[in-house]
Amino acid sequence: MGESKSEILQGTLDLMVLQTLEAMGPLHGYGIARRIEQVSEDALQLNQGTIYAALLRLQQRRWISASWGTSDNNRKAKFYAITRAGRRQLAEETANWSRIAGVIGRLLRLSER
Amino acid sequence: MRAFFWTLASRVRGIFRSRALDDDFDREVAAHLEMLTADNIRRGMTPDEARRAAVLRFGGPAQIKEQQHDDRGLPFIETTLQDVRYALRSIVKYRAFSMVAIATLAIGIGAGTAVFGIASAVLLRPLPYQDPDRLVRVFETNPLRGWTRNIASPANYADWKKQNTVFTDVAAYEQFSSNGSGAADVFLTGVGEPQGLKALGVTGSLLSVLGTPPLMGRTFTDDETFEGKSRVAVIGYGLWQSAFAGDPAIIGRTIALSGRTYDVVGVMPRGFFFPGRDVQLWLPVAYQPSVFVNSRRPHWLGVVARRRPGVSLPQAQDAMTSIARGLERQYPDTNTQMGVRLENFHDSLAFEPRPALLMLSGAVGVLFLIVCANIANLQLGRAVTRARELSIRRALGAGRGRLVRQLLTESIVISAAGGVLGLALAVAANAVLARAAAAALPLFADVRVDRSVVLCAVALSLIAPLVFGVLPALASSAPERLSDRGATSSRSTGALRSLLVAAEVALSIVLVVGSMLLVRSLLRLQDVDPGFNPDRVVAFTLTLPGARYPNQQARLLAYSEIERRLREQPGVQSVGASSTIALRGYTWTGDSTVEGRAQTDYERELRHQSVTPDYFKTMGIRLLEGRWLDDRDRVGQPLTAIVNESLAKKYFRGADALGKRITYGRPIDKSPWVTIVGVVADAKQDGLDKAAQPAVYNNIAQQMQTPLTFVMRTSVPTDSAIAIARQQVGAVDKDLALTEVTTMQAVVDESMGDHRFRTTLLSAFAGIALFLAALGIYGVLSYFVSQRSRELGIRLALGAKRPALFALVIGQGIRPVVTGAIVGLVGALALTSVMQSLLFGVQALDPPTYAMALALLGTIAITACAVPAFRATRVDPLVALRDE
Repeated sequence: MGESKSEILQGTLDLMVLQTLEAMGPLHGYGIARRIEQVSEDALQLNQGTIYAALLRLQQRRWISASWGTSDNNRKAKFYAITRAGRRQLAEETANWSRIAGVIGRLLRLSER
Repeated sequence: MRAFFWTLASRVRGIFRSRALDDDFDREVAAHLEMLTADNIRRGMTPDEARRAAVLRFGGPAQIKEQQHDDRGLPFIETTLQDVRYALRSIVKYRAFSMVAIATLAIGIGAGTAVFGIASAVLLRPLPYQDPDRLVRVFETNPLRGWTRNIASPANYADWKKQNTVFTDVAAYEQFSSNGSGAADVFLTGVGEPQGLKALGVTGSLLSVLGTPPLMGRTFTDDETFEGKSRVAVIGYGLWQSAFAGDPAIIGRTIALSGRTYDVVGVMPRGFFFPGRDVQLWLPVAYQPSVFVNSRRPHWLGVVARRRPGVSLPQAQDAMTSIARGLERQYPDTNTQMGVRLENFHDSLAFEPRPALLMLSGAVGVLFLIVCANIANLQLGRAVTRARELSIRRALGAGRGRLVRQLLTESIVISAAGGVLGLALAVAANAVLARAAAAALPLFADVRVDRSVVLCAVALSLIAPLVFGVLPALASSAPERLSDRGATSSRSTGALRSLLVAAEVALSIVLVVGSMLLVRSLLRLQDVDPGFNPDRVVAFTLTLPGARYPNQQARLLAYSEIERRLREQPGVQSVGASSTIALRGYTWTGDSTVEGRAQTDYERELRHQSVTPDYFKTMGIRLLEGRWLDDRDRVGQPLTAIVNESLAKKYFRGADALGKRITYGRPIDKSPWVTIVGVVADAKQDGLDKAAQPAVYNNIAQQMQTPLTFVMRTSVPTDSAIAIARQQVGAVDKDLALTEVTTMQAVVDESMGDHRFRTTLLSAFAGIALFLAALGIYGVLSYFVSQRSRELGIRLALGAKRPALFALVIGQGIRPVVTGAIVGLVGALALTSVMQSLLFGVQALDPPTYAMALALLGTIAITACAVPAFRATRVDPLVALRDE
């Protein structure tokens, strides 16, 4: 690899989508993709289309819901919103993530010494 | 877990809404791209650039849509559904093929399922007892008496029960007659009209050995075996419902049976039977304890035992054999050479019908294979016409695997349709078959459509496409097959089809030979002289309850009075009665001494019957020598008897039997002498296919066995004759009921019932097989002619004679038939030898039968070939050449 732009793990993208929806409220696919790119300060640049695989996965698990609505500039777009099950999952995943991040961080620090 | 479940649910839903969801996603992607394009324009791109950049940024909308589509549903199922849709389209398109395939499959699967239903009712469905596999039937064997599976004597039974260590318990039930379940007629009075019931006498332990818990109340205790404690009854579910309307307070209720009262102590659950479904209630045998000590000579008990856990059948057999050896030493008088034979109880019940059922199962399996071969053949024929379609699909990128999968899906859809239709056929035929099979099956068989029958149809529908679908799918998807102009490829398919025809012919020959052997047996059987004339003779049995007819004299009086009254009725030509009627087995047998023989030289198993003098005349049994019985042969007069021809031949070894004396006992028994006053022709006893055994007839006035069966020859219709009998019997005693009312013609027909049943079924299978084989021969040859019409045209143009062409085509068609016939004959020789036990008067290797089968097949094959061969001679050379 060696590139600075990281490949995104499947689960990670799901987690980012959930967090985005939790933070921003209902958004359409384009909005979510934009938001993730902005937050990552363009460190992560994904094919925007791949976001839909994550959205479908999350929908199938009933962690997010979808409905057609109208965007700011009056376009028809499909909006996604996090569900209660989604929030629970997000909380769980976040805890999990920080724990693993902590462990890996410690491990890396240890091996540096 | 929850998430997984929701995903699955969503994907399943996705299959059904796939088009709507695709559209939805298309719009979503379009909206996304628009927004992205708009942002790009805002950043200063030209609209064209902006749009291109948007697509780039989005990353291949087409692939993402495709991916999304697959993720939304279940691609495997979706492909299958697509194949199924495609299959349905092609089934409709090739309508003729599909209809033939589905119809023949329906016949194959239907026949298989129906036969399985019958076989499983007898051989497979577990008996309604606890751990039925541990139940064994114990028989007496004795080579001296020709016994291999005989009922047991009470004293032997009691010793087996006492001495063995291999059974948890042993029990017995009465089996007085060799005919039916051995149940006795009793009369239930006090509940509506008096009604005749079938009751079985059992020892106290019988129902507990079987281990089926009663629905209500209890079963018998050991004590209740004996007289004095035995006025208790356990009734069946059917009787409880019919006679007592399911009375919930039936336990403890007192009922009157043939003039005696019994307390109902238990009701058995629905579906319970023992040993046949004709038995409606069970009563204790009610013997004196001494019977189990002293009665070692007479035999009348069916013995059932339960193996201890861990004791195998051979171990139990060994243990019981050594007990039998001990009894042989202890009681040489009665038990010389008396052995025991243990049989799994279910096997013992299914002993007689088993060979025929296995034969029919095998035959229907063969028929199923023929059906599959036939469809495979048709499919190969069709593959040629489909070659273009398949080659287009291949050109469009379908791999061979994909084509095979699609062709197999087609086969499975056809097979499923055939299976559904076949199951419907089997269900529709079930009632008819059950009735037709009744005479061929034991009394416990309940032929009905249950889960296993449905499973059988499903299994056959799944196996069929493997047999008929795989080969054609592989052959027709093979790359070279796709050339569409293939002389070479059609040759290899042609070889495969000829092979299939040969196989069909071979299998058909086996069925045809088998069914012809059975037909010849049945014809032989119908030609057998039963020894009596069944024409217009009605028969009914009359049991006199012991409570009201306590002695011989009272019984003789009643029977004589009934006979006298019946004789005087208009339309009645003759009336007689006997303790055993022809073709209904036997009841009493015993040893017999011929005057003037050595002490050790005596006869065994002489069959006894008590008759009224007019029995012979009524039945049309011929007198060969001497005189009939008459009023001279009564109590107080010298004992006399009429004997049958078999006895006269066997006992007197060529000398004249008339006037000779015999006893009913061994020489040392010093029984009174009986003078033979007449010899009658043999009347069949155990069946038309069994030789008559030595039998003796006594006047009931001198020796009476009960109950008696009356026979009545009339000039009025059967129904009126029976009405007359009912009325006259009622006039003598209104509480008497007629049982086993029938005609002698029905008795004769019934005795051939099992032969007729298997012959009809096998012949039907053979007929279908021949038809399918003919279809196969015709199909292959027609194809041959159509493929070679150009060649034939050239030959004609070059001056070939039409008869020569006809012969050429016939020769082509006959070749696989000859191959198949040779293989089939070898197979038939091997298989039919196991049929010998089902045949009568015909050898399994009967040359005329084989010749006839070959002639029949040859005729059919040539007929099937003639049509395409004739068409070949009609080929117009010009048309044939222009066609190319």
